[in-house]
Amino acid sequence: MRTIFELFGKSPFEPLAKHGQMVDDVIQEVTPLIESFLAQDWSEAKEIADRISRMEHRADQLKAEIRDHLPRSLFLPVDRGDLLRLLKAQDAMADAVEDLAVLVTMRKTPVPDTLKPHVQALMDQVLQAAKTWFTISMLLPQLQEAAFTGPEVKKVLDFIDTLDEQEWRSDQLGTQLGRESVLLEDELGAISLQFIMRIGQKLSDVPNHAETAGDMVRLMLAKG
Amino acid sequence: MEHLILITAMLAALYMAWNIGANDVANAMGTSVGSGAVTLRQAVLIAAVFEFSGAVIFGSHVTDTVRKGMLDPMAFSTAGPFGVQGPVLLALGMTAALLAAAIWLQLSTKLGLPVSTTHSIVGAVIGFGILAVGIHGIRWGQITEIVASWFVSPLMGGALAFAIFLGIRTFILRNPDPVAATVRVAPYLVMAVCTILALTFTQKVLHNLMHNPHPTFVGLAALAIGGTAGLVARGVIKVPEATIGADPYPYVEKVFGGLQVLTAAFVAFAHGANDVANAVGPLAAVVGIAKTAYTNVPNGVPLARWILAVGGIGIVVGLAMWGYKVIATVGRHITEITPSRGFSAEFATACTVLLASRLGLPVSTTHILVGAVVGVGIAHGLGALNLRTVARIAGSWIATLPAAAVISALLYLGLKAIFI
Repeated sequence: MRTIFELFGKSPFEPLAKHGQMVDDVIQEVTPLIESFLAQDWSEAKEIADRISRMEHRADQLKAEIRDHLPRSLFLPVDRGDLLRLLKAQDAMADAVEDLAVLVTMRKTPVPDTLKPHVQALMDQVLQAAKTWFTISMLLPQLQEAAFTGPEVKKVLDFIDTLDEQEWRSDQLGTQLGRESVLLEDELGAISLQFIMRIGQKLSDVPNHAETAGDMVRLMLAKG
Repeated sequence: MEHLILITAMLAALYMAWNIGANDVANAMGTSVGSGAVTLRQAVLIAAVFEFSGAVIFGSHVTDTVRKGMLDPMAFSTAGPFGVQGPVLLALGMTAALLAAAIWLQLSTKLGLPVSTTHSIVGAVIGFGILAVGIHGIRWGQITEIVASWFVSPLMGGALAFAIFLGIRTFILRNPDPVAATVRVAPYLVMAVCTILALTFTQKVLHNLMHNPHPTFVGLAALAIGGTAGLVARGVIKVPEATIGADPYPYVEKVFGGLQVLTAAFVAFAHGANDVANAVGPLAAVVGIAKTAYTNVPNGVPLARWILAVGGIGIVVGLAMWGYKVIATVGRHITEITPSRGFSAEFATACTVLLASRLGLPVSTTHILVGAVVGVGIAHGLGALNLRTVARIAGSWIATLPAAAVISALLYLGLKAIFI
């Protein structure tokens, strides 16, 4: 039945949080993936990579669905461009993990024991930043409920500051991993060095995208 | 033969009122059911009681406009161009207008067009009027005022809803402690709603009790009722235990769910007061003529209350037979509105419709509600607003005037052929 209440479009904020949850599920696979990489357990790594690929695909489908439900005729309480950029950045976090899994499983890259703590430290920092982002993402429906004002705003802005800080720290740790790897150039050989560097970069990409998404939330709140 | 005209007009008015109850009331009640503030059973009960009281207590102003405001009665008097046939022709025309509006409503509901009952009846009356007496028989000044109100009222509803939601946003949602702010502010909102609603009652009741009561007295009486309701609300609404640190918004929305029961009643009252005229305005004209045995067009005779009651009963029967289904469907499909938003939109709509009713202007409750919802959206209240729907609604109302006018003119010719 067609009524005047078709006026109420579907709010994009719950689906956005749902998409965040799906991306979070992908991020949860980073720990076992990197652990199997450090343990050089390639069959386990392959299994995890397959899982990541499937989960990333599902998150992609939800992303497309959210986009399809955001036509220009929809009037939103936030800038439509900001919303789409947030979605893209959130999805890029899952993409980065998928790329990471491809790099880990593409070649049996050895990891010298001296590098392992550095990889571990970088991973921990990356996961912390991701966790901060998903806390923000889960609060999006509540922000909409509060009409982008009130005590929630302060809380979210604080989370975004924390996220920025965590992104900066993971960059530092990424650089450190790079430096340590280069010191072992002769032992590793050029190709292994390349792979370890790129694995480090892919890990650092996750908080970079999270930071972009956080910036979009900041813009939404500033305009509201 | 002449009794047949009255019976036809009466059946047509009931059919029209039935249509209003079956289809239009859902628009007034939809936001309350959709937000979960009231159940379907409560919505039907509230609508039945308040649509009927709105129609009977406050329906006369707009009804007078529809029965004698739009056409020049002189054109149909025995001294007019039709001579002794004038009064009969006006009675037939008003009957044709009722049938035309009801048929157009039924047709457009089938087609899924959100059509206004008000626009249908106004278009229909103009339609037969132009055919019968030509352009000069229409009171264009009054028509211009009515059409202007169709543009102004949704804007006013939108501006009011914007202001109300902005107030809620500033004083409650933005507050560091939204729960405490809700407990503090809600009694004043109860007072505001009850005072405005009581104003219509006190005005009518005091008018019946005494000759020309002073407006200040009427206002104070309403304020006393509203203030009492506010005090009761202050006693009832308490800061709940065990909410410290918890998400405050479910509690805020729970309180607004309670307030929305009030605004639901208010909207139903305002809707009944304005829209009953669409069914009984033309009937009242026919009844007036029938009382003179079709020899005269009475102008100064006051409206009989039983005519308003007929309209009110028609609306309630339509609601009971079919409207509850529409409300249920509408309520199921809108899940994207929360009580604080629903309250803002309904309060603004009801105030605007009631003001228009006081001024005797037939306006579209549906359009004002749409304006109010957009107003809440502009105040950042809604997750998403489908602007294409606004365009579709505007399109159907533009189609309504000529469609109802043409159907009405054709039916007038038909009735004339049958009865004369």
